Amino acid sequence: MAKQAKPRMALRDTVGDKVFYTINAIVLGILALIVLYPLYFIVIAAISDPDAVLGGKVFLYPVNLNFEGFAKIMERKDVWLGYRNTILYTALTVVLSLIVTVPAGWALSRNTLPGKRLLMIYFIIPMFFGGGLIPFYNVMSGLGLVNTIWAIVLPSILSVWNLFMTKTFFESSIPTSLIEAAKIDGAGSFRIFIEIVLPLSKAIIAVMALYYAVGQWNSYFNAMIFLQNENLYPLQLVLKEILIASESTVGGSGETILQQYRLANQLKYVSVIVSSVPVLLLYPFVQKYFAQGVMIGSLKG
Amino acid sequence: MSEVIMKGLKKVYDNKVTAVHDVNLVIKDKEFVVLVGPSGCGKSTTLRMVAGLEEISDGELYIDGRLVNDVAPKDRDIAMVFQNYALYPHMTVYDNLAFALKLRKVPKAEIDKKVKEVAEILDITQYLKRKPKALSGGQRQRVAIGRAMVRDPKVFLMDEPLSNLDAKLRNQMRAEIIKLRSRIDTTFMYVTHDQTEAMTLGDRIVIMKDGFVNQIGTPQEVFNRPVNLFVAGFIGMPVMNFFDNCKVLLENGVYYAEIRGVRFKLSEFQQKALKENGVETQEIVAGIRPQHITVGEGELKATIEVSEMMGSEYNIHARSNEDEVVMLIPTYDLATDVSMGRTVAFTTKPELIQLFDKESGNNLIWYDAESAQNNSPVCKRYDF
Amino acid sequence: MEAANPAKRAVKERAPRVKKKRTKEQRILSLKENAPYFLMVLPAVAVVFLFNYLPIYGVLIAFQDFMPGDKILSDSTIWIGFQNFERFFSDPMFWPLMKNTFLICIIGFIIGFPLPIIVSLMLNAMKGKKTAKVLQTIFNGPHFISLVVLVGMLTLFFGRYGLVNNLAASLGGERYSYFLESSAFRPMYILSSNWQDFGWSAIIYIAALSNVDPQQHEAAILDGATRFQRVINVDLPAIMPMISVMLIMSIGGLMGVGYEKALLMQTDGNLQVSELISTYVYKRGLTGVPDQAYATAIGLFNSIINVVLLIIANTTSKRFSENSLW
Repeated sequence: MAKQAKPRMALRDTVGDKVFYTINAIVLGILALIVLYPLYFIVIAAISDPDAVLGGKVFLYPVNLNFEGFAKIMERKDVWLGYRNTILYTALTVVLSLIVTVPAGWALSRNTLPGKRLLMIYFIIPMFFGGGLIPFYNVMSGLGLVNTIWAIVLPSILSVWNLFMTKTFFESSIPTSLIEAAKIDGAGSFRIFIEIVLPLSKAIIAVMALYYAVGQWNSYFNAMIFLQNENLYPLQLVLKEILIASESTVGGSGETILQQYRLANQLKYVSVIVSSVPVLLLYPFVQKYFAQGVMIGSLKG
Repeated sequence: MSEVIMKGLKKVYDNKVTAVHDVNLVIKDKEFVVLVGPSGCGKSTTLRMVAGLEEISDGELYIDGRLVNDVAPKDRDIAMVFQNYALYPHMTVYDNLAFALKLRKVPKAEIDKKVKEVAEILDITQYLKRKPKALSGGQRQRVAIGRAMVRDPKVFLMDEPLSNLDAKLRNQMRAEIIKLRSRIDTTFMYVTHDQTEAMTLGDRIVIMKDGFVNQIGTPQEVFNRPVNLFVAGFIGMPVMNFFDNCKVLLENGVYYAEIRGVRFKLSEFQQKALKENGVETQEIVAGIRPQHITVGEGELKATIEVSEMMGSEYNIHARSNEDEVVMLIPTYDLATDVSMGRTVAFTTKPELIQLFDKESGNNLIWYDAESAQNNSPVCKRYDF
Repeated sequence: MEAANPAKRAVKERAPRVKKKRTKEQRILSLKENAPYFLMVLPAVAVVFLFNYLPIYGVLIAFQDFMPGDKILSDSTIWIGFQNFERFFSDPMFWPLMKNTFLICIIGFIIGFPLPIIVSLMLNAMKGKKTAKVLQTIFNGPHFISLVVLVGMLTLFFGRYGLVNNLAASLGGERYSYFLESSAFRPMYILSSNWQDFGWSAIIYIAALSNVDPQQHEAAILDGATRFQRVINVDLPAIMPMISVMLIMSIGGLMGVGYEKALLMQTDGNLQVSELISTYVYKRGLTGVPDQAYATAIGLFNSIINVVLLIIANTTSKRFSENSLW
């Protein structure tokens, strides 16, 4: 989006153009409000008196500041355990995924690689066709991974999409002549990768680390089907219990519902904040890398 | 001794495209050979085969007497300067220069000495701690040359090293390469598409087209004795004027060139050569370099269409019936009116007319069939 | 000057061009260079083999009378052909599942496909480039919210005493338990998906738009085009190839909605519209009394539909334009 059509001529906008720009800006502004308001509301609801929230008194600003929710969530052992587990899973996933993805991306970007076409086909097929959930489950259980942390980590350490993105990055960002110069200087394939390619690939390594990290941080499904031991539950699974599980059982008279709500409601708002804070805090700093990643991917689509 | 011998070197790509057909070339020790030709002519591919960056499809390549077809680039004892410099962006200039030596496990002290020595020669000592990004184009070019120099290679390969520089810097660097060459006493193989570079740098020039070598020769030879139309048209600025449908006439044992009805009695040397080659009356394409045209006299006439003021001379584009003729008029020649629409007379000296066979395009005087058969075409050398 | 290449002609006549096979030495040299690459790609090959190809092999159980714990191929394997598929076609859930899956995808597509394109064009046409960047950052934000949190937010906002009902009540409306209303499921599902991802999906178009040559715009300005006309005549054509590719991919995914989000949103009240093929596979295969072979067959059926749709989309696009995935 960087440097886009800024006409060099100092032309006056016509009336029509002015109207266009204004309407354009207004619509986008409204869209931004639609995106931001729910997030903002979560924050103000989390720090307002739960009764005020339930009573519909909180819309634009916090009412009767109340931080009990945060105190309550501090007491929840499962949340902190989930937090710890998620951090562990995410760290493991990132380290392993980089080891698997980056060298493979480099190798696939080499035109001299014999059988490159076959390898590409090998990686492309799973993008469009898979065995489905049940065979996947059976493989995991056959490998003895069920109810271990590896059931969460191992299947997440390679995304073919990310692999291709890495490959495209290498193809477009590492000049061939650089590699040839290193060859003539006497470096072998491994040394070229480690001493020349890796130092020049910080951007893609950062992007990949972030993609894998966010993916693992936010995932719940594999944990849900593969983990029975609650001590291994990642944060998202704990959150699911807090945020959603109760909802489907909601029934009965309005009075009990209200009671339930009062107890759980603030905790929900708070837990949304607590769980999303690391990602959202990081986000503004790393978003340029994220977007960069998509653009790398789009180069060759 | 570091001689490079190419015997029938050939490059066929997987998609069956032949990029280089049968290059036969011997680069003598300490010789500076320039490969020149239009883009896609196979000159870079040839160089890259010598470097070991392209697999050789067929033929033999010897460096210093050793067959190196199947030797990895690093073991060929060559160094290469790339068009876009190919400096390692994350390393300082010093590390860029030292990298190859480090890989060769040269002792640190020796590396240091060598790097500093080369930096001194190239006048980049003050930049040693900088990264390539902080250097200008010309400085980067020096570092790239330095990286090749530290290794004292047997053969110095250069792939269009100046084409990324602006015109002024290019001239400057060209001069520096000539200077440099007297300091580093080694064999050079240099690829360019720029004929000025080729003419000024090369001891010998190899002119390529479509994967074939068209002529191998000194700058003087390829300029004065082009073996065919392509070489004649490629070398020389502005481009040689060609006159189609002309004739060589043999009358009473005397050869004439007939250009647009005007007869030129050919010079003694041409007479002998044509005779030796057994030429009879035939259709030809006549070639006259713009530099060799005399304006203001003679029977040929042309009307000025465009006149370009070049500083030292005017480039005149004139039309004479179906021909467009380019001629040069020095700017000190105030007497000649170069305004558009004027008709001028022009002529040339007969010994400066190049005669090309209409069919084959080969020069009737300079084409040497034998060397062409071996795909190592040189101009004929008469011994009379 | 084509005729002027005697050397070429000479060789053409003389040496018939035979491509020589690589010599043994050349192969050793190539192996030396490439063996490290094979090592580098090996872990990825292994991971894909384990977690993608082994499951593909595992679909064989769809054609078997399979009990958990059975080997996929053994002497005691009982092959039952397409019985599981036939069973699915006569399952009373078949048509509801097909309908639910298709509807959620097609409505999601109709809204979700053009939205990022429009947003990218609008962002690109903004006067203040810095503002556009800030807006883009805002729009991308929700992409990083997890599904659990997203659905959690939905339950908070659309619960009986949530924000939406409170707002409605204060305006004198009635309170609904949106999560128990089947009519509310699809709008909630689709709108929340779009809320979450429209900005993210727009990035790819914004990237393409940033490559539009400014001179094209300048030429159009000189031709007297308004900004809006330039959006239609300069910007839109520039991202058309990208739109085609995305369109093919979307069509390939028209029956491919996953289970993650739907499972989280399912309640007894909305099950008649929220049960999708994928969630049904999960339930039949992994919960209650699992019927793995049956669930696998349903999953396979769904995958095949997706592949067929993708191929149709790609072939169609190839025929009518120059854009295709392969």
